[in-house]
Amino acid sequence: MYHKISILVIEDEKSICDFISRTLELNDYKVMTANTGKDGLAIITSQLPDLVLLDLGLPDMDGMDIIRQTREWSSMPIIVISARTQEKEKVNALDVGADDYITKPFGTSELMARIRTAMRHSNKIGSNNQLITKEYRAKDLRVDFDKRRITLDGNEVHLTRVEYKIVSILAQNSGRVITYDALINEIWGPYAGDNNRILRVNMANIRRKLEKNPAEPEYIFTELGVGYRMLEDEG
Amino acid sequence: MKNQKDKPSIFDQKFIVVGKKDFVITFCIFAVATFISFFFNKKASDPTLNIAMLYTVGAFLAARYTEGYLYGILYAVFAVLSVNFFFTYPVGTLNFSIEGYQVTFLGMLVISIFTTIMSTVIKTQQEILSRQEKELMEAEKEKMRANLLRAVSHDIRTPLTGIIGNSESILENSSSMEEEEQRELVKNIDTDAKWLLNMVENLLSVTRIDDSNTSVNKTPEVVDEVVSASIAHFKKRYPGTEVKVKVPEEPVIADMDALLIEQVIINILHNAKVHAFSEKPLELNVFTMGDDVIFSIRDYGKGIDSDRLESIFDGEAYSRNEPSSDGYKGMGIGLSICKTIVTAHGGQISAMNHDQGAEIRFTLPIDNEEMDYVSQDIDFGN
Repeated sequence: MYHKISILVIEDEKSICDFISRTLELNDYKVMTANTGKDGLAIITSQLPDLVLLDLGLPDMDGMDIIRQTREWSSMPIIVISARTQEKEKVNALDVGADDYITKPFGTSELMARIRTAMRHSNKIGSNNQLITKEYRAKDLRVDFDKRRITLDGNEVHLTRVEYKIVSILAQNSGRVITYDALINEIWGPYAGDNNRILRVNMANIRRKLEKNPAEPEYIFTELGVGYRMLEDEG
Repeated sequence: MKNQKDKPSIFDQKFIVVGKKDFVITFCIFAVATFISFFFNKKASDPTLNIAMLYTVGAFLAARYTEGYLYGILYAVFAVLSVNFFFTYPVGTLNFSIEGYQVTFLGMLVISIFTTIMSTVIKTQQEILSRQEKELMEAEKEKMRANLLRAVSHDIRTPLTGIIGNSESILENSSSMEEEEQRELVKNIDTDAKWLLNMVENLLSVTRIDDSNTSVNKTPEVVDEVVSASIAHFKKRYPGTEVKVKVPEEPVIADMDALLIEQVIINILHNAKVHAFSEKPLELNVFTMGDDVIFSIRDYGKGIDSDRLESIFDGEAYSRNEPSSDGYKGMGIGLSICKTIVTAHGGQISAMNHDQGAEIRFTLPIDNEEMDYVSQDIDFGN
């Protein structure tokens, strides 16, 4: 039998809550809503939704606490809804365990794309034991993780060791935003400091090798002040 | 009682400022100078030379860190007495009667007092200068805030009226309306809402400048990323708008608040899109010239009236209160915010016409130091 994917929306603003619920229902999801953080947590623990959409600015409690408390026992995908100009908040939310964020104001197609990405990654966790990772494919770009080979339109792209590492991490998490700090930690280790200049310049060089026009990237996008997001894998 | 305390008293005048803190500072400097003098007196071959100079440095410090002239002069007098008492023959007594002592100690007193006065004068001048600078910046900010407020109160009602009117008519007449007609109204709501969003984001930018007291919160950023983020943001809001973008071959780093510069690029693009009626795609070219990185946004539209080229960033368009043919007014505020942001980054912005339309350019200083580091890092990283 076919089960609908259930999504919990924690949002205190009624009109936004309505708009999200309607969109989700139209796209064949099962929707639950909570207007306060307390209700939200109760539903998370009792109903175990497949995914949570969480507005950080709730009247009764800090959205960060909801993420933290949920992460103590569950890895269910959490997408944070955040207002613009608060990059710090987004980074913090990702650091405490949110899977992704979406910035107000957002359109329905953007929201749906984020949900699909988050669901795809949550499914992966179950099959994470397999060490072989599938090839990344999007448009003309292929990343072969076994052979450590990147091809663009059939032609091999020559990246330095560090550049390849950056691309492979982003490709394995394609569709999701990866923070600067997370990337630096992964590549240069925990003592690299918080200066992300090396990363940014490596990225500029990667873009010059991968993108037709580095100013209008097709594959790796910048989320200003937060991190990078790679085009969702098509395979 | 309380009122009296707030009022400036006669003692607040420049010459005789009485403050407990200043007294303590002066006393401490004096005590330290005296203490070290004892050390010199024991160890140095010609202690009086060291001691005199030491007390003079003390006089400079006392004047620098206390209000007015009083404490510096007081210090000078005590320094002279102390030298006479502790360090000159006969030790342990005040004696100015020995031949030559009058000249020596009078000289020392005059030098100390002169140091005090010079140091106080320099300090006061510095204070005045920094205050003037601050006032100038405040005035600039104040002007922009006033402009913004005027624009907001004047222009925000128009789109709101559109949103309310359109949505009401759908709510009330949806049964008798053609689907096409309804779509049209919803599209109007969409346009109005996006216009409002633009306005709100500009308002947020201004609060961002206000938050940090000195100027903007700058970090080294790779120019490509800011440009690509701006273009993505702009295209998301105006799907189907074409922009041709070019960035330098080599990555360039400039110090900026990335979100504010993004706002500048979006505002200029928006302005070109809405007002210029460009016949070809807009162009955004980024290139370097000397120590600056230059952002040039070109359109191929009707150009800017030559009498407005100078004042287009001053926000006169909406304060002049003239009827406008092309949709909403108020985008002038967008350009004046651009100017504020660019100026706060130490850059310049200007508008000009070319053969087939208008061009707006702004500059940012390149962070050469970061660029040097980067070339080292990259070599090392490989």
